[in-house]
Amino acid sequence: MAIRIVLADDHPLTRVGLRDYLLKEEDFELVGEASDGIEAGRLIESKKPDVALLDIRMPGESGVSLARKVRDLSPSTAVIMLTSYDAQQYVLSSLKAGAKGFVLKTTTPEDLARAIRIVASGGLYLDSEVSQAMESPGFSPENLSSREREVLVEAARGLSSKEIAGKLYISERTVQTHLGSIYDKLGARNKTEAMLLALKYGVVSLEELLE
Amino acid sequence: MRRHLLILLTVAVLLPSFAALVIGWVGVIEHQKAMEVVAQSYVKDLAQNFADRIEAGWETRTGFSRMERMMRFHRMSFDLSIPGWVAVVDSNGRLLLSTSGADILTTLWQQEIPIGSAVDVISSGGERFTLAAYPAGATGWFVIAAVSWNELLGPMLAFNRWPFYVGLTGLLGLLSVYALWRWLVSPLRFLEAEVSVLKWGKEVPVRDDPKAVFELRRLRQVLYQLALSAMERAKLMKRYVSDIVRVQEEERSKLAREIHDGPLQDVTALIQQLRLATSEVKREESVDRLHLAEEGAIHVVRELRSLCDELSPPWLDLGLAQALQELADRFSRHLGISVSLEVDGEIPLSREETLAFFRVVQEAVHNSFRHGNADSVVIRLFEEDGMAVLEVVDDGKGFDLEVDVESLRVSGHRGLANMNERMSLIGGTLDIKSTPGEGTTVRCSVPITSASA
Repeated sequence: MAIRIVLADDHPLTRVGLRDYLLKEEDFELVGEASDGIEAGRLIESKKPDVALLDIRMPGESGVSLARKVRDLSPSTAVIMLTSYDAQQYVLSSLKAGAKGFVLKTTTPEDLARAIRIVASGGLYLDSEVSQAMESPGFSPENLSSREREVLVEAARGLSSKEIAGKLYISERTVQTHLGSIYDKLGARNKTEAMLLALKYGVVSLEELLE
Repeated sequence: MRRHLLILLTVAVLLPSFAALVIGWVGVIEHQKAMEVVAQSYVKDLAQNFADRIEAGWETRTGFSRMERMMRFHRMSFDLSIPGWVAVVDSNGRLLLSTSGADILTTLWQQEIPIGSAVDVISSGGERFTLAAYPAGATGWFVIAAVSWNELLGPMLAFNRWPFYVGLTGLLGLLSVYALWRWLVSPLRFLEAEVSVLKWGKEVPVRDDPKAVFELRRLRQVLYQLALSAMERAKLMKRYVSDIVRVQEEERSKLAREIHDGPLQDVTALIQQLRLATSEVKREESVDRLHLAEEGAIHVVRELRSLCDELSPPWLDLGLAQALQELADRFSRHLGISVSLEVDGEIPLSREETLAFFRVVQEAVHNSFRHGNADSVVIRLFEEDGMAVLEVVDDGKGFDLEVDVESLRVSGHRGLANMNERMSLIGGTLDIKSTPGEGTTVRCSVPITSASA
């Protein structure tokens, strides 16, 4: 069965490129194209696609705010965020808004197809260029202890070390030690990377991390 | 010396006039005493001299005729060259002979005046006379000689009222010193004190001082005008600088947006087409060329992205907390130091405020790394007493805050001045605390307004 897709991008040339990428795959069906956020919202509501590819910066409504609405407009639709920007905070914002994938517009046709197939089957996909920065070749993550998982989840919710310490009844220094150990195990250099890598490796689930 | 010149001048004016007054007064007293002695001995001699020449027989009608007596008397009095009067009276005080104008002596003549010595008498008119009476031989008459103090000493007598003059001079002196002090010295000192601590360009002195002399009031008005125009200039300067910063920021974000929406998308589309073409081409050589082109294009995309980031990162749209997190992550990645962010709660900030805080953090972390050699920087964003507060704390080597922001700006180091400028533009404040060897804390705050919510 074909994967039904809606594509929204305000830039005509990149939209054409992406469309051509999608048309190469036989099991993909492009059911609609939009050049702004509002049109994209209408398309998603009426077509109820399996996957929506949304540009982050669009006139009318941004991809992030549209992704938040998609949960209501068409709960069965998985959103993949498209962007020219590799900012990790875009990734986090997109995931918090409910997106299941984050793909750079400079991605290869193969990677785009892979991303669509993964999110259509309920998975999570992060562009290798965004996560590449976080990984060194041949690195394999270690499992986090349950305490470390707790600390990471609280940190992901935006709590400061002091607040985490208060909530988990441990000292601030212990929180710092846990965070250091989490970074080491995941190969991260900061909290954002730790969160993204934990998601990527499936150490924590999206729901757990971003609720 | 010059510091107390005004006081010295005042004393220098006052003191000699008092001294002259006292010396003059002492002189007058001494002179008066001397004149008293002279007058007394003079009238005594005069009376005695006349009395000696009046011979016995003058008193009888038979001895001399009245005419003869008068002729003799007048001959005697011709050599009288000093002002004074001589009269001959009988024992009843009746005037017998007198020099001209000596009538007055009869009014002065009283029985109780001792014979043979000089006395001071005050006439009924208040005039002072020195007077001496002598018996004229055996005639039973008396010779009275007198001088008038009015004629002898004349105007010198006025100095008899010396306490009044001393008092008056003293009072006038004190008055003039008081006037000098009140209208000149004190307003001058007040003006000096005010102007010396005046923040030019920020404050103006009091416009008028009604207590000051006219010249000082004019001076004050001129200073007021000067201060006013300095303030105008400062205001203009500030507006000018803020315009520059605002226009610069607008240009930068416009440029970034245009690069993002234009060339960046175009090159992205180019990469997509190259990839599509690569998949359709069979010739190995062409595939290699297309790969090269693609690599080049990807390089351009990265260049454009970092150019946008440098100008005005599009991810600023995500809000301050996330933009700062991205910035902190990038700083720690690129500089190899620990840059962490702690955010307490959601703080509503306008776009301008977000941008200002963002730029301050950019500059502060940059300074911590480059000038402070810091290993770790902590950025804190929190709310305190209705203010949005941002702190950038480093563990670097710190610096001496004695070096003020203005002098840094003058010498071309615009970093601190720029941060200051950014904050003042949004109505906030910037505060830097630093001790050599103990790191630096940059703290800025801006009131949270409902408009920015």
